[in-house]
Amino acid sequence: MTHAIMPTPVEMRSPRKRFWINNKGTLIGCGILVALMIVVPFTASSSIMNIVVFAMIFALPAIGLNLLMGLAGQVSLGQAAFFAIGAYTHAILLTKLDLPGPVAATIGVIAAMLVALLVGLPLMRLRGHYLALATLGLGFIVMIGVREWDVTGRTTGIYGISRPTVFGIPIDNSGFFLWFVTPFVVIGLILALNLTHSRAGRALSAVNDSELAAESLGVNTYALRLKVFVLSAGFAGLGGVFYAYQVAIVSPATAEFHLSVSILLMVVIGGLGSVWGAVAGAFLVQFLGEGMRDIIPAIFPGATGEVQLLGYGIVLILVILLLPGGLHQAATTLWQKLPFAGKRPPGDAHAHATWDDTTIPQLPMVSTPVAAGEPILVISGLTKRYGGVIAVNDVNLTVPAGSILGLIGPNGAGKTTCFNMISGALTPTSGTVTFLDQVISGRKPNVAASHGLTRTFQNLQVFTSTDVVGNVYMGRYRKGSAGVLRGMLGLQAVEQSAHRAASYEILKSMRLTDAADDSASDLSFGKQRIMEVCRALAAEPALLLLDEPMAGLSGAERDVMAELLRRLRTAGLTIVLVEHDVAQVMSLADHVAVLDDGVLIAHGDPESVRNDPAVVVAYLGTDLDEAEAELSELEEHA
Amino acid sequence: MFTDFLQLTVAGLSQGSVYALLAVGLIAVYTVRHVINIAQGEFAMLAGLGSAWLTASGMPLFLAILVAILTVTLVAIAMERLIIARVKKLTPLTSIILTLGVSTLLQAIMLLVWGPEAKGVPLFPGTNILIGGVSIRSQEFWMIGALVVVGGGIVLFYEKSRWGKALRACAEQPVAARIVGISPVAASVLAFAIAGFVGAVAGVVASPIYLSLWSGGVLLGLKGFVAAVLGGFVSFRAAIVGALLLGMIEAYVAGYVGSGLRDGAAFLILILVLVVRPQGLVLKPTAVRV
Repeated sequence: MTHAIMPTPVEMRSPRKRFWINNKGTLIGCGILVALMIVVPFTASSSIMNIVVFAMIFALPAIGLNLLMGLAGQVSLGQAAFFAIGAYTHAILLTKLDLPGPVAATIGVIAAMLVALLVGLPLMRLRGHYLALATLGLGFIVMIGVREWDVTGRTTGIYGISRPTVFGIPIDNSGFFLWFVTPFVVIGLILALNLTHSRAGRALSAVNDSELAAESLGVNTYALRLKVFVLSAGFAGLGGVFYAYQVAIVSPATAEFHLSVSILLMVVIGGLGSVWGAVAGAFLVQFLGEGMRDIIPAIFPGATGEVQLLGYGIVLILVILLLPGGLHQAATTLWQKLPFAGKRPPGDAHAHATWDDTTIPQLPMVSTPVAAGEPILVISGLTKRYGGVIAVNDVNLTVPAGSILGLIGPNGAGKTTCFNMISGALTPTSGTVTFLDQVISGRKPNVAASHGLTRTFQNLQVFTSTDVVGNVYMGRYRKGSAGVLRGMLGLQAVEQSAHRAASYEILKSMRLTDAADDSASDLSFGKQRIMEVCRALAAEPALLLLDEPMAGLSGAERDVMAELLRRLRTAGLTIVLVEHDVAQVMSLADHVAVLDDGVLIAHGDPESVRNDPAVVVAYLGTDLDEAEAELSELEEHA
Repeated sequence: MFTDFLQLTVAGLSQGSVYALLAVGLIAVYTVRHVINIAQGEFAMLAGLGSAWLTASGMPLFLAILVAILTVTLVAIAMERLIIARVKKLTPLTSIILTLGVSTLLQAIMLLVWGPEAKGVPLFPGTNILIGGVSIRSQEFWMIGALVVVGGGIVLFYEKSRWGKALRACAEQPVAARIVGISPVAASVLAFAIAGFVGAVAGVVASPIYLSLWSGGVLLGLKGFVAAVLGGFVSFRAAIVGALLLGMIEAYVAGYVGSGLRDGAAFLILILVLVVRPQGLVLKPTAVRV
């Protein structure tokens, strides 16, 4: 008997309690930060005050950059450029147009975000190093621009910025200024924290694990990354706005490359992907910089200028070499060693027991947009060439809804290439794939996924940074709607917990409940494969592409999988599977298509394909009789 | 009018030669380690400041240059051994942060040792010549000559010598290269040595005219990157052509538009190229088997 350990669904608790549980860490952390910022002006010396104020100002661009690096997996070496754009815009609007502070500040932030949008639109399509170097270039362009333009005051910059007034109180000393900036940092912090836990944030961290798998579940990587990039520029712009207020002069130095390096250092010290780390990093880097500026001239007499860079360079290298997760990693390690830290129970022994029972308790939901028998997927003239090699040659196939199509063929016949072209992972050389009357070939996988086509992978694409239920939860991405903005405002708890409950249900139907909270990378190969199927099913697809779903599964697991597929078909789901286990395909599929050397050599019901002489020769060997003998032997074994 | 144009072209070609050498260093490291070395420009500044200091303290010019180039080559090897090789899984993210760390560290060391002022190596021996109203400084011959000799040498080394072919094999088929006995460690060290060497050569030949500054390396290295991107980032020859083009474009911008905008040109070109032809600029298409 299955003995599932289901946690109490979050939505069953009272709303107030749920809010507290979901946000305990954030609330305590913000409380401590606010308390410290209230106390500091009364106790600290003026030099310490100065450091704290700048740390709070630079925490903003650091939080932004942390989102970009932690979530979008991209580095910006030009964070200072957006900082400078915010600072300059704000300063110019205040001094030359006499606009009220809040208006000037808002326009400053928007200006930074607009520039990021313009740069990001083309550049976020590129992977790897390009964004880093392009933003580094942008930093220089901004610096050259402000130095050469009359409006930005050339090398002198903009000066004479008056301090703001809040409720009639002029913010004219460091203490008031700290209280003025703290609420904005706290709000920014909460928005960023919400975003990391939101639907969009989880999708982005899935993209960092496997971009292909995430896109196959409907994640529009490009759009999400672009939004995060624009957002991170907005944080930098806001930092610049406060900087202009505090320093009262904005010079080309605000766009300096070394400033971008110090912001990057704040993020690296704090730990990539940790919003709190970015804030802690901002404080550490400010203290480090100030300390270096005091110590270095004492050691090297006559040293002037940006001597703190010595410390920055060393720390950057050491953190990546010795503590790649930064302060966040150090803190989590330390926390787990504490006696009172909540420890997770070790993996339990039930995991294997449940597989003896071959009945399927429940069925995940499927969507059936067209009646059974109607064409759901039409492949026409599909061709893929690699130089002179033709991997797939003019394949034409129509898949009727509510049926299982088995795609078989010898190794290297082009089955997976075909799959990749259908799902959008590969662009065909020619030919089209039409799914539910929409042409989906040559577009990104998320387009096909958004219409209800999901897939699994021959070479598993597991989201390793999350647990099993987190993987399946990503399958629900298509069914959710909360975007970046809603995520930041934290207005999606209900939607999220509903999807989480649905994920548990699907895991239950595939007997993976016991492993739900285990790290996905700890699962056995066969279980990971089943988890991928669960993940694909969680999207409630209309068409499911399975690339060798039986490979690596035990006999009992295969039977459960086959039974599940049959039931899904009965429920109306259309399935296309590539499989090496010919016997399984023959017994499972309504139609079988055979590829050989990229050419479709047969297509029909299993019986006629089995007896097709061309198939037997191509698939199993040279001599017809010998091949038939082998085939029947194979089937007996299975 | 036309002589102005030719004059700018000469200046652009000599400056472009420096970018070309840096691009060669960047590609050498990228093909083997898939690391874009942000410290590439610092190699040039280190060699320039080092040889300026050595000559100022009385060492003969060419001996000083030789010592500086060898030292910088060793610095590059040390960077590979002590830092890059210590990271097991180099992602673009970590490689950028690490090489940025090295770049920052080298800048700080240069600032502490040689101070914040720009310094120049004395002009190399030679006479300036005048052809049809266009004057070519002898140092510009040295710069272009350095590209022809060193850049050309590296290209020949890669295409003709056994070691060069091994390096290319490492870049294209790392697993196969290991199977046939090419050590990935040796290949990586060699790639960084080449990067340090060409960077140092670029730094010393440019120093008499363009001076060396502790913080000048980032900008210079980035120009090398732009050149490499212009050339597709896979072939040395294409990158060298890209670098010479970039040098000329910069010279025309400086001459006809305004000298302050000269550095902006490179990055506008970079962003423009990335926008217009991103597909041609994918460094090495990473085939994901699924």
